[in-house]
Amino acid sequence: MSTVLVVTPIVVASWPLMSAAITAAIGTMGFAAAQNKGPRVRQLASTTTRAEIELEDSEILAGSAGSGEQMVVERDGIRAIFSRDARGALKLCVEGNGHSKSELKRIGEALVGRVAQQYAYHRLVSELKERQMTILDQRVGEDQAIHIRVRSG
Amino acid sequence: MNDEEIEIVIGADGKVVVRTIGIKGPRCLDVAEAIAQIVGREESRRLTEEYHEAGIQAHAQVEQRVRRFGD
Repeated sequence: MSTVLVVTPIVVASWPLMSAAITAAIGTMGFAAAQNKGPRVRQLASTTTRAEIELEDSEILAGSAGSGEQMVVERDGIRAIFSRDARGALKLCVEGNGHSKSELKRIGEALVGRVAQQYAYHRLVSELKERQMTILDQRVGEDQAIHIRVRSG
Repeated sequence: MNDEEIEIVIGADGKVVVRTIGIKGPRCLDVAEAIAQIVGREESRRLTEEYHEAGIQAHAQVEQRVRRFGD
């Protein structure tokens, strides 16, 4: 060991790039894209518990995709709606029947963590390739952390 | 050098830990910082033995030369 840095990711991406990170992230937590979006969301809104989480240090660039984009995913009756909030950050609304608000918040925080993880992974790997650095090994640990070994120089 | 490596761990919460292996002296910090800047904002840092090793070696060489000169 010589130097150890701990870094908080700053997520700045267009909606298509963010969608790719969300798609990769939800799979790791057993979520899947919802088949029927609109009507179900409205139906659940009056009867379910809901928690909102914002991904700190995130900015979804307002581009050709516009600001009305959203992505709805679900798992075991829990629905999670990713969208861009008024300030441009990634917002996640988690809702479901029979779950406490704190439980939904915990699930939501885990989801946005995974989105940040996937974003950081793709950002790093593409940049390492750009710099022609050799990736010696990569694996996912039991704690779901992604480990990458790179040859320096 | 071939035994110079960087280990990157991206936690499930998105936090990234960058660790240099086998890179001696202040250059290890430059390498780690370059990786850190790709993903975000540095939260904390820890410098360990190898960071100081190059400095210690240089200091020892100077001391030896001073001693020889003194002899």
